[in-house]
Amino acid sequence: MGDILTLVGKRLGIGLFILLVISVIIFFMVELLPGDIAQAVLGQGATEENLAALRKEMGLDKPAIVRYLEWLGGAVTLDFGNSIVTDERVTTLIGQRFMNTLFLAAYAAVIAVPLAIVLGVLVALLRYTVFDRVANVATLTSISSPEFFLGYILILYFSVNWGMFPAIASLSQNMTLPELLHRTFLPALTLVLVVTAHMMRMTRAAIINLLASPYIEMARLKGTPPWKVIVRHALPNAWAPIINVVALNLAYLITGVVLVEVVFVYPGIGQALVDSVSKRDFPVVQACCLIFAATFILLNLAADVGAILTNPRLRHPK
Amino acid sequence: MTKVKDQILIDRLADAAREGKVSRRSFMNYSMAAGLTASAATGLWTTQAKAAPSRGGTFRLGSHDGNTGDTHDPGTYVTYSMIMLIHTFRSYLTLIEPDGSLGPDVATEWSATPDAKEWTFKLNDKATFHSGAKVTANDVVASLNHHRGESSTSAAKALLSDVVDIVDNGDNSITVTLGSGNADLPWLMTDYHFAICPANDDGSLNWQSGDGCGPYRLVETEFGVQYSLVRHDDWHLEGAYFDEVVITVLNDPNARQTALVTGDVDAITQLELKTLSLLQRDPNIEIDNVPSAAAITMPMMCDTAPFDNVDVRNAMKLSMNRQEIIDKITFNTATMGNDFQHSPAMPYWPDDIPQREYDPEQAKALLAKAGAEGISVEIKVADSVFSGAVDMCILYAEQAKAAGINITVNRVPSDGYYSDVWLKDPWCVVQWGARPTPDVMYSLAYKDDAAWNESRWQNERFNELLLQAKSELDNDKRAEMYREMAMLARDDGGTLIPFFPNFVYARRKNVRHGPDLAASWQVDGARGASRWWFEG
Amino acid sequence: MSIFVVGYYTLLLAASCLAAYFNKRTWFLLVFSLTLVSFILGIVGGASMLRGVATAAGMLALAAMVAYAFREFLIAIASNDMAKELRTAPLTAAFGMFVIFTYAIAGIFAPWIAPFGEAEVISTAFAVADADMLLGADQLGRDMFSRIIYGARNTVALALAGTVMAFVLGALAGLLAATTGGWFDQVLGRTSDVIMSIPSLIFALLMLSIFGGALANSTTSFWLMFGFAMVTGLLVVVAKAENNVLSWLVGLAILVGVSTGFSLGMLTIFNPSEVILILVVGVIYSPRVFRLTRAVAGNVVVMDYIEAAKLRGEGKWYLIRREILPNSTAPLIAEFGLEFCFVFLLVAGLSFLGLGIQPPTADWGSMVRENATLISFGDITPLIPAAAIALLTVAVNFVVDWMLHRSSGLKD
Repeated sequence: MGDILTLVGKRLGIGLFILLVISVIIFFMVELLPGDIAQAVLGQGATEENLAALRKEMGLDKPAIVRYLEWLGGAVTLDFGNSIVTDERVTTLIGQRFMNTLFLAAYAAVIAVPLAIVLGVLVALLRYTVFDRVANVATLTSISSPEFFLGYILILYFSVNWGMFPAIASLSQNMTLPELLHRTFLPALTLVLVVTAHMMRMTRAAIINLLASPYIEMARLKGTPPWKVIVRHALPNAWAPIINVVALNLAYLITGVVLVEVVFVYPGIGQALVDSVSKRDFPVVQACCLIFAATFILLNLAADVGAILTNPRLRHPK
Repeated sequence: MTKVKDQILIDRLADAAREGKVSRRSFMNYSMAAGLTASAATGLWTTQAKAAPSRGGTFRLGSHDGNTGDTHDPGTYVTYSMIMLIHTFRSYLTLIEPDGSLGPDVATEWSATPDAKEWTFKLNDKATFHSGAKVTANDVVASLNHHRGESSTSAAKALLSDVVDIVDNGDNSITVTLGSGNADLPWLMTDYHFAICPANDDGSLNWQSGDGCGPYRLVETEFGVQYSLVRHDDWHLEGAYFDEVVITVLNDPNARQTALVTGDVDAITQLELKTLSLLQRDPNIEIDNVPSAAAITMPMMCDTAPFDNVDVRNAMKLSMNRQEIIDKITFNTATMGNDFQHSPAMPYWPDDIPQREYDPEQAKALLAKAGAEGISVEIKVADSVFSGAVDMCILYAEQAKAAGINITVNRVPSDGYYSDVWLKDPWCVVQWGARPTPDVMYSLAYKDDAAWNESRWQNERFNELLLQAKSELDNDKRAEMYREMAMLARDDGGTLIPFFPNFVYARRKNVRHGPDLAASWQVDGARGASRWWFEG
Repeated sequence: MSIFVVGYYTLLLAASCLAAYFNKRTWFLLVFSLTLVSFILGIVGGASMLRGVATAAGMLALAAMVAYAFREFLIAIASNDMAKELRTAPLTAAFGMFVIFTYAIAGIFAPWIAPFGEAEVISTAFAVADADMLLGADQLGRDMFSRIIYGARNTVALALAGTVMAFVLGALAGLLAATTGGWFDQVLGRTSDVIMSIPSLIFALLMLSIFGGALANSTTSFWLMFGFAMVTGLLVVVAKAENNVLSWLVGLAILVGVSTGFSLGMLTIFNPSEVILILVVGVIYSPRVFRLTRAVAGNVVVMDYIEAAKLRGEGKWYLIRREILPNSTAPLIAEFGLEFCFVFLLVAGLSFLGLGIQPPTADWGSMVRENATLISFGDITPLIPAAAIALLTVAVNFVVDWMLHRSSGLKD
């Protein structure tokens, strides 16, 4: 157990370093983008004269490296600064939105992860039967359409034709939990459809990959029923790749849902990120990207720890 | 027998008037045809169409184009949803009435010296801010000065560059002094940047508070997401029938349309034209289709080969089949362009200029004359210019093949299009918002030294006429000058204008509006919230 | 009771009886349960529902027959060894191969198969299907069928190139990291973490905005592609050369030559902006492949036989090629099938942001996007390209399932 704690500590340290690298990359990518924040703010109405005035007001006349270091100086004291465009605190700007995103991701994950793993085990058990085929075709078809298109189809049936769920998932302050769950059901369902296939197929593949191993053969020869072979013998060894894919998809639920947010008008962080990129609002872009990166790093760390915990060989390296 | 039939027609007309489907003029014509006397028809019109507004209800508007980075600063207003919002909670000196004329807002009347160099605006005594303070001349001066001077960051700076001084006359009126005469100054005051905000003690503008003197007061603001407003009871004008207004940003066209269909909102901006005919079948929805002064332009830089030759420019203009483009790209919701940026929705429109038709043969001849047969050119375009912009270029490229012109369509990222491509590349596609008068339009984008002279067109006669027309207070003479300028732009200019897009937006059936809809912005000049009402 | 309904039940019952008589247990169960379900459906949905069931069953039967015939065809033309393998293929896999084969033919011979050009405007907007236009027209009046055929060529080629590049780079790096371990493993792992931590759509948006505008010319894309090939090749050199200076030099020399040739080759097939798109896809997806490979190979390297091979003094390249790779192909293959289809979606998502393949080039993702809103009114125009993507995805994954089964060594 002590080994794992050391590993976690080390990985967290590395995580901080990765965040630093990302902040540098993001900063310079935003710098490299054509046009600058002043042009983005004034839009088509920009002339050289007022561009210069606006740049000065926003402090863009300083060299890039100075602006980065100033930002970094604040960031290490957990002060992510103000948005350049609206001059609001970055934390107030994206705090609530991040909570919304987390809520939606959790909602989708609570449905999708158990569903995918149970389905994966089932199709591995019933491999090459009609059930396997149907489950595969259904999930594959659902991930073959772009997610915004899936959203449109769900809206057509669930809200326009049947009127069961609202088409717009905009939130208001005083909503009860059941109301909230009802209102955000369609975006959550879209996300479930998007991520389930990947996890399910990976579970299936990882289990089937192990079925020819001698110890499985042994278990089978002993007369263990097929479901027990899979759940007791194959699954524990298949956890590593499964956990990895689950972590990847959880990260996707948080970081990759821009299009779903647009389609369902859900006030999440993805829309804020796209908006701030188009406005070149560097502190906001930076804060959003760092939140995403931190989420991702933590999930990955969890996946790695999980993989080690489930594989005794990795726990005691020779 | 005929009498019964007439009664049916009259009933129908009355219904149409009540639902705002027919203008006053057509109503009168049809009513008289149906056998009513003029005075009876007028009476019917007033009872049916004018008596209808009833107060109450929450008007929920879904608007496109909102950004989390929007702010209350009038100098940096840029998104469409902000334009919808500001017309709901702030006011201007003047406004454009539904019938297209200029009407009073915070200013009750205005007058100019004969050379049109000095304009005096008298302010409305009743106008108050939501905070309760009276709107003073000082506030108005500060609101305009926000867009002037060295340190101003306003996008509307160019519009006021000619202003020498703005003074508070002390009798609740202001005087604007110009460097050269401008007969259109009162029209200019309707520009969405010139919103009236309270002034700080030091003369700067206090826009941050979100205070305004418009028909509704902001209650909740979440930029790029949603705004809720309640009626400002002391508003200085007629209207504001709804108790509350909620403006929701719905960037996705599908989200907007389904929200309207399911009744989650009462009206939406900017329909997706592809699905227009399908949406029309919905019995609960009314579509408003209003010809506008907005324009799509394709500026060819007149100082860059091959467009430095006027024959090449005209060959390009001749090889576009505008009718097909209007059919397929706008689904018949546009007015055909004629290569001068003066739309029928603007005053002084010259109606006798022959339409330029699709003529690949003549284009070929012109190219041969210029020694440029089989020419290859590139046009840059981004999806964001307007819905269907890339498709339009592709269709045009196909049409131009008949004239032996090979057009390569280069789709570039929407992000940064107006800073990177526009005014920099020799040929691209641009969408222009509606401007109130031809003078504003020509001064912005066709004057030889204008910052946005997108086609880099230099024509001495045109610039001379532009200056003369600006300070000309005689309407007939002015119209004649604009006609000559239009001919010059059409036959010598570098801007190809395929069409003037209509404003196409929709509302639920129970939302009613008057007989006319303003052509300055969508949703009745962005004032639907204060001009429309729910069926009683 | 129409003739159709009577005929429907008669056929089903006769088929159940025949199956029962000839002792075909599974067939009997299948057909008879279908009969029972039909009773319920018939009561609930009426004749139209039964018609739907009959159509679906007919389509399935058609697909099965096509698959069966195609498998027999492949067996007939293949060599003996191949034929033996093919006999083990289930019908689904045969169907998958048939679809892939059809798409390949359509893509390669697109200009000869498609009745019209991909940009040719031939009718009014959204004209309905007729004898000339099998699937009707799109929003500009271009033939939908021709555009689907051309789309097979453009979309599949691009997605395939992108996915293959992501896999070669990601898998090589993953295997090498697992065998080498230590700081090398750490550096690669953290690099991939950095790339993966940036959301892919935003990363693509940033990269394409930077390189997609004025920089999308042959020189830039050549150097970018060259760089990518060099990085990939370097991994091979690292594995092969170990600590031998001479083999390093030789390896590097060969590498530069191969990379140049490869980059020039890519530029002749794709235009510069497509090359950049492929690279973006490669860069975004390779860390995902890397992580998976690293995880799977990580489980393999701790096995005793690897220890044994190491003690024998085998080199890294040998370990990777002969010991680790064969034991970790299955998850990689499964991943390939899915990533391939994710690439379509990424390209579609990019075109949502105004990036991606240049029009008027037909590409399925953009074709879905362009007319997506029509679906809200029940118009099926956007479903056609979406179905094209879905069919290919399902087909690829059917074949992948079969290969997975074979490589797992299962006998049942």
